[in-house]
Amino acid sequence: MRIPRLLQAVLVFAGVYFGFIIVFDYLLGAVIPKSLLTMYMFFVAAGVFMVFTYDEEDTRELVAPVKALVEDPAKRGIRNIVFTLIPLMVGYFVYDQMQPGFEAPVELRTIHPAPPSTAKIYGQRVNLLSLENPYRKLEKEDPEEFAAMVNDGAAVYIKNCQYCHGDKLDGKGPYAEGLNPTPLNFQDVGTIAQLQESYLFWRIATGGPGLPKEAAPWISSMPVWQNFLSEEEIWKVILFLYDYTGHQPRSWEHE
Amino acid sequence: MNYSAIRNLAICVWSVLAFVLTTVAANSEPGNVEQGEAVYIKRCLQCHGDEGDGLGPAAEFLNPPPRDFTLGLFKFKTTAFDEDLPNDEDLLRMIRDGMPGTAMPGWSDMLSEQDMIDVVAYIKTFAELEGEPESQLDYGTQVKTSDESIAAGKILFEEGDRCTECHGVEGKGNAIKKLKNDNGERTWPRNLTKPWTFRAGNDPKKIFARVSTGIPTTQMPSFSDPKSSKKLSIEERWHVANYVASLAKVENVVNPENFVIQADRLESGLPTSPDDKAWKDAPSSTFIMVPQIVGKQRFFLTANDTISARALYDDKKIAIYLEWDDRTKSIPGDAKAASIADENLSEDAVAIQFPLTIPEGMEKPYFLMGDSTNPVSLWRWSSGTSEQPETGTIIDAKGIGDQQPRDDSGDLSIASSYLNGTWRVVMTRLLTTETPENDLQFEEGRFVPVAFFAWDGSNSEAGTAHAMTTWYWLQLKPAADSKPLIYAIIAALLVGAMLFWWARGAQSRNKVNA
Repeated sequence: MRIPRLLQAVLVFAGVYFGFIIVFDYLLGAVIPKSLLTMYMFFVAAGVFMVFTYDEEDTRELVAPVKALVEDPAKRGIRNIVFTLIPLMVGYFVYDQMQPGFEAPVELRTIHPAPPSTAKIYGQRVNLLSLENPYRKLEKEDPEEFAAMVNDGAAVYIKNCQYCHGDKLDGKGPYAEGLNPTPLNFQDVGTIAQLQESYLFWRIATGGPGLPKEAAPWISSMPVWQNFLSEEEIWKVILFLYDYTGHQPRSWEHE
Repeated sequence: MNYSAIRNLAICVWSVLAFVLTTVAANSEPGNVEQGEAVYIKRCLQCHGDEGDGLGPAAEFLNPPPRDFTLGLFKFKTTAFDEDLPNDEDLLRMIRDGMPGTAMPGWSDMLSEQDMIDVVAYIKTFAELEGEPESQLDYGTQVKTSDESIAAGKILFEEGDRCTECHGVEGKGNAIKKLKNDNGERTWPRNLTKPWTFRAGNDPKKIFARVSTGIPTTQMPSFSDPKSSKKLSIEERWHVANYVASLAKVENVVNPENFVIQADRLESGLPTSPDDKAWKDAPSSTFIMVPQIVGKQRFFLTANDTISARALYDDKKIAIYLEWDDRTKSIPGDAKAASIADENLSEDAVAIQFPLTIPEGMEKPYFLMGDSTNPVSLWRWSSGTSEQPETGTIIDAKGIGDQQPRDDSGDLSIASSYLNGTWRVVMTRLLTTETPENDLQFEEGRFVPVAFFAWDGSNSEAGTAHAMTTWYWLQLKPAADSKPLIYAIIAALLVGAMLFWWARGAQSRNKVNA
């Protein structure tokens, strides 16, 4: 039996719709936002319409059942039903849309904002473009001393940072769930692996309140570490972050 | 399919399964101490120390503190109560799955099974643990949970204060005595209504093991010890385990998707007492609280991990109901409260934080008590002392270090009740005041940022030592009006008329054609 063209079109549309939901929501585990899905489905609908009305015969076949429903006197019963249901559905849709929403306002913030060229840290204006980790050179020059520095950094980390960023540096410390935004996962290739050490220094020293406005400094729970740690401790903890995760800091030399 | 075919199939499946299991088991070699040491140095030493004594750099900030392996005693094991030696699997489980509610994470995503087996072998060397445990925990036959079993468990739980002595009547750990571990450190009984904080699993079988073996190095005793006056038979312990599992909170649990407290509108008569039945119908939102470790002075060891909020309003006022578990009713000057509390007993307290104006854009005051350009106001309730009743105070804050309590907190009214380890507090204020420069003016339908702070005065929490949440939202839900219905009817009529017109037009065209 041949499937009527109208039903074919509806099936294709529905197939793509549920395909999106299955792929995004279930296979990828990332729920597709409603607004995005609506936009995609608009293009799908336009595409389906173009394909199914490619020539005149196709178009006629496509609209034939609709035409019959409206015009055929023999279909009076079903026409009355459909013509009652459609206004009811529209009415319900409008009613539903008019209900006040309780979704929290969406807040978009930049996670890694562009750093300023200079920042005031420990009471001094620091040029972030030329700032380097003073201990980094020991990695080659004195590996033993370097390992000791990393070890010091580990102690700083465990005492101060693991509560939120986690023992495994995966952003899942014991208090991570109570914070919004959630603490960064340093294991992820999208965080410290993409950044220079001077950037980390700036972020650690000035904390949440030191963020530019696009990064919503008022909600970040990152403390202002220059109030708690020495400059040396911050550089050492940065060594530890890279050592533990196996990432390399970005630097001008490699680029 | 006949019987023998089924049997053959079962044998086939079983052989495959047995083969797979033995292969997997054969792949795990016995723990290698040297390799375990290498993993330990990289992953464990910072907390548990290079001597395995739990004295790593962070020890004093962690609650519970890291385990001291030199004792050779472990809290969570499945060997018999009088057998100190744990099973290797007990230690492996702690490493693999971690300990919920502590700083110990699960390591299975970072370490291989063999790495973890090696670490087990290595940590046993700190106390020179050798050989196999001689006797195992006897689980008997598991009693499946049922209303009867839970009822029997409840009786045993309360009988002679067996469990209630420490865990309280409703199991919230609302202690009547001060507990400490073998090392002299303060410990608090588990709040059994929060199974997500159970360290070693929260299904009845795991709870059965805790009841049976006790928790070594703490005051949680074994209830399988025949010498104990409170001992329980295997069957009775299953009943208690089923009862404890049934205590898990179903209301007031955190929904990570929910960021909004919805305030319903009442026509009149806001409930001023926390015991008012009107609160039952108000939707409850529960949020995670974390210790205040952002501003000076940082405090790491708060007692509570969640707070639940509800709100109702009428044409003049808004009432906010807060509910949180607190093991102690901290009333300075009260001898009983002092006997349970830490050295310095302070009042219990809770505070609701609002910005001074509803933000137009994204920008809000700093979540931790505002900042110099964006002040906040706090509605603070304190539990009172033996000489002075509870108080409600409005505090104007421009940061954690700049809090100015008002001499006159005018329209703020408060009420509270404490029962079986739970505080319930209601704070009520006017929706709009005559001083909009000092007070938030509430508006129907708008989203208002809100955050919470709580202090447990018996747990040395006072001043900047407290638990807190991040910003959430409060929305005054507009009362239902007829607008949506009218628009819906208009839309339906329009569409209906169009369809009718279309059909009529088509039919008359047909007639003309005919």
